[in-house]
Amino acid sequence: MKNILLGALVLGCFQFGYGQNRFFTKTGIISFEAGTAVEDIDAVNKSTTSIFDASSGQYEFAVLVNGFEFKRALMQQHFNEDYMESDKYPKAFLKGTISNIAAVNFKKDGSYPVTIKGVLTIHNVSRQIEVPGTFIVSGGNVSAKSQFDVALDDYKITIPSLVKDKVSKTAKVTVNCAYTPL
Amino acid sequence: MKTSIRKLLLFLCFVFVGAALYGFYLFNKRPADIRKSAASYSLSADSLLHIYDKDEARANKQFLNEVIAVSGVVSRVIIGPARDQATVMLSTIDPLEGVTCSFYDDQADALKKVQQGQEITVKGVCTGKLMDVVLNKCSIQN
Repeated sequence: MKNILLGALVLGCFQFGYGQNRFFTKTGIISFEAGTAVEDIDAVNKSTTSIFDASSGQYEFAVLVNGFEFKRALMQQHFNEDYMESDKYPKAFLKGTISNIAAVNFKKDGSYPVTIKGVLTIHNVSRQIEVPGTFIVSGGNVSAKSQFDVALDDYKITIPSLVKDKVSKTAKVTVNCAYTPL
Repeated sequence: MKTSIRKLLLFLCFVFVGAALYGFYLFNKRPADIRKSAASYSLSADSLLHIYDKDEARANKQFLNEVIAVSGVVSRVIIGPARDQATVMLSTIDPLEGVTCSFYDDQADALKKVQQGQEITVKGVCTGKLMDVVLNKCSIQN
């Protein structure tokens, strides 16, 4: 991942240095909710790295699983040790393309709906996904938001039967990134 | 005989109530306040990055989830995108990599005084490395 992002950065600096074609953040926010009526379960990670190319629509996203902060210590421990096995699989990735990037005018303020198609890797399982998102251009600043569901079964995240009524089978993921031009 | 049964029942009651209270305490226990925790390691941003670049898996074994104090020069202070979200970037000799320090939300006001180029020591929990080594739950130590 490091090499991919570094390569993208270097290319961004030298190949696209004359324009604002690549945007980057190291402080993106990913949060998720996976609770039920019985239990509130939510967590947030505020150090997500993401880069996208406004010309080609290429989009990458990486997050450290250990960086998710919970309100309760025991939940965080179970999340890392039992469900996500973050020692073995410390990172999650999304690598894909914004299919309708041409619809976004980065020089004009506005809210632009987009679709991101790509491969989401969680818990060492990679799956093709297609999720909605919105780019917001305001006063030269670019941010992106997205909300989508992730089925835990799809990524071989097993919830013990003892707590099955407390943990949702689907996590609602919310993404919020404020980008800086390279 | 009756007395000993009564004593046994009373003892079991105490054990049950104790176990229930302990379970309730464990379930609701908040994550540790890192501002009050002592750092297990103190090192420079350059050293931390160097150790991670040399062998990431080994570095994770040493630093992951540990409270560490990292000294370095501030390359950027970022407030947002969420309200009160505060992040400090520490620079290293590598222009593309550094240390990202995500602060407790209540530290946003204190960080407004931190200037680019200032040398500071940040204490936080190491969560691993993407492009930067990332520390969570940070506070300024000096």
